[in-house]
Amino acid sequence: MKAFLQRWGTAYGPPLVVLIVGTLLLEAYVRWTHVPIYLAPRPSDVILTLHRERAYLLAASWSTAKAALVGFGLSAGVGVAIALALASSAWVRRAFYPYTVFFQTVPIIAIAPMLSIWLAPGLKAVAACAFIVSVFPVIANTLAGLIATDPALVDLFRLYGASRTAAMLKLRFPAALPNVFIGLRVAAGLAVIGTVVAEFLVGELGEEQGLGVVIVGASHNGHSDRVFAAVLLASALGLTMFGAVNLVARRVLRNWHASART
Amino acid sequence: MRARRVVGRIGLLLVLQAGVGCKQDPAVGDPSVKAVSLTLDWVPEPEFGGFYAAREAGAFRAQGLAVDIKPRGQGETWKLVAQGVTDFATTAADQVLIAREQGADVVAIFAVYQTSPQGIMVHQARGFARIDDVFTHPGTLEAEDVTWLKFLRRKFPDAPMKLTSNSPGIATFLANPELSKQCFVTSEPLQARTASSDPQTFLIADAGYNPYTTVVIARGEMVRKDPATIRKMILAMRAGWRAYVDDPAATNAVMGKLNPEMDASTFAASAGVQKPLIETAETQRTALGEMTAARWQTLGQQLVELAILKVAAPAEAAFVSLDRLPAK
Repeated sequence: MKAFLQRWGTAYGPPLVVLIVGTLLLEAYVRWTHVPIYLAPRPSDVILTLHRERAYLLAASWSTAKAALVGFGLSAGVGVAIALALASSAWVRRAFYPYTVFFQTVPIIAIAPMLSIWLAPGLKAVAACAFIVSVFPVIANTLAGLIATDPALVDLFRLYGASRTAAMLKLRFPAALPNVFIGLRVAAGLAVIGTVVAEFLVGELGEEQGLGVVIVGASHNGHSDRVFAAVLLASALGLTMFGAVNLVARRVLRNWHASART
Repeated sequence: MRARRVVGRIGLLLVLQAGVGCKQDPAVGDPSVKAVSLTLDWVPEPEFGGFYAAREAGAFRAQGLAVDIKPRGQGETWKLVAQGVTDFATTAADQVLIAREQGADVVAIFAVYQTSPQGIMVHQARGFARIDDVFTHPGTLEAEDVTWLKFLRRKFPDAPMKLTSNSPGIATFLANPELSKQCFVTSEPLQARTASSDPQTFLIADAGYNPYTTVVIARGEMVRKDPATIRKMILAMRAGWRAYVDDPAATNAVMGKLNPEMDASTFAASAGVQKPLIETAETQRTALGEMTAARWQTLGQQLVELAILKVAAPAEAAFVSLDRLPAK
């Protein structure tokens, strides 16, 4: 038990200390300088709002989480699949890779109405936006890993007569896994951002409304404490998804890759 | 109330802000006139026509003012006024009360729209006769979860239609005959008609929620310490709006150069649609831009009932008119 607490303290102690000290300093700053609440609400007010409106805010968080998870899942699956296809041949890569940049640069605001028409407003359209925003890092990082496989090992597979598919599945993809997880870590945060933005463009209002709708409504109605409470929950969601990817990465990589041993 | 303005036009705003939008009154810099700034909560469109008319026709200069009109975009412009970033700004009356409860010392001095142009557009083929029909029939309503929608959701708690966020532009409205969409009756319905659609509009005001809209605000401190400038500003805006309501053509041409997104015919049509919302029986008795304490009081009560405000503060503190300005 003592060892567990020590490990836990080492891992989570520093960020927790930064969080507590940072919150206290911000509270003190806002109180002493009398910053208007419409510019910066007191952290204590935000915490009280989180407690008082927990049912409403948690329901909105759950809606956002669902869309973000669907978008992230699509990014992971489609992103890796596209990277595998691009890595299969230099010609395919040269022909198609530039167009994947579309996903990174497309302004969601421009295509939101089309997504709303094709997929109907709500979860599907929001998740599609989250996918579009978050897929590129998965493609780019996975591809970088796939084409950086040690050439000596690739030659070895060829010498032993391994097929291209076998080389891809047994050598290049496993070797690229650290890169895949880098892409997934970036995509986890982007999926949440994409979801929140999409919610106030093509999201549902009412029982299924997500944090993006809460933020816009609260901002318009001057409830800055609620705005920041929702922002905190969106951050927590992103952090949770990031943590989950880290956890999976550690499990997958811990026996053979240096990045998962520290 | 600028909430209808989706962020899809941010690019245009940046262009306007960086370039032509910053055109100043020629008198800016002249030491004999007082230079002030007026920040708009959207791009140059007919809803701001009277301000540009006041600049172009010299109404500001006649009052000894050099007004730098700054188109901006959505967002809480009252924060800019409260923080002293700009002297005057346009917003909506409900935002003024929200701002004041947040401790922002802002005061309304002129209200362009006596009847709010906020509305809902539906397809004529649906055969709706009044705004209640939107909330008693299935379908979809695209709107933002802001003050007026909270009012209507409270009024129609069992509304069967699906509520979704307001997507940018009018594409979804054109594509879906069962879709209703929030609008300014001076804007989106005209675009829809140009696109050969069949928009029919209902004013939110007809349902009982009617905040003054395109309201010019100033810092309370300025009202108290420099009432002369406030007086001059009100008189100049009144003259500007009088000129624009009577003949918007010349000013529309000026604004058209600043906002190439809107064509000349839409400028003209929009100016025509907004005329009865600006000049009402009330303003014919008083003057353009005038406000009453009763209207502010009603709005305050409504916002309290919607739990947007905690208390309905005395209405008189939220606005001034010429006869209530300090004599100094």
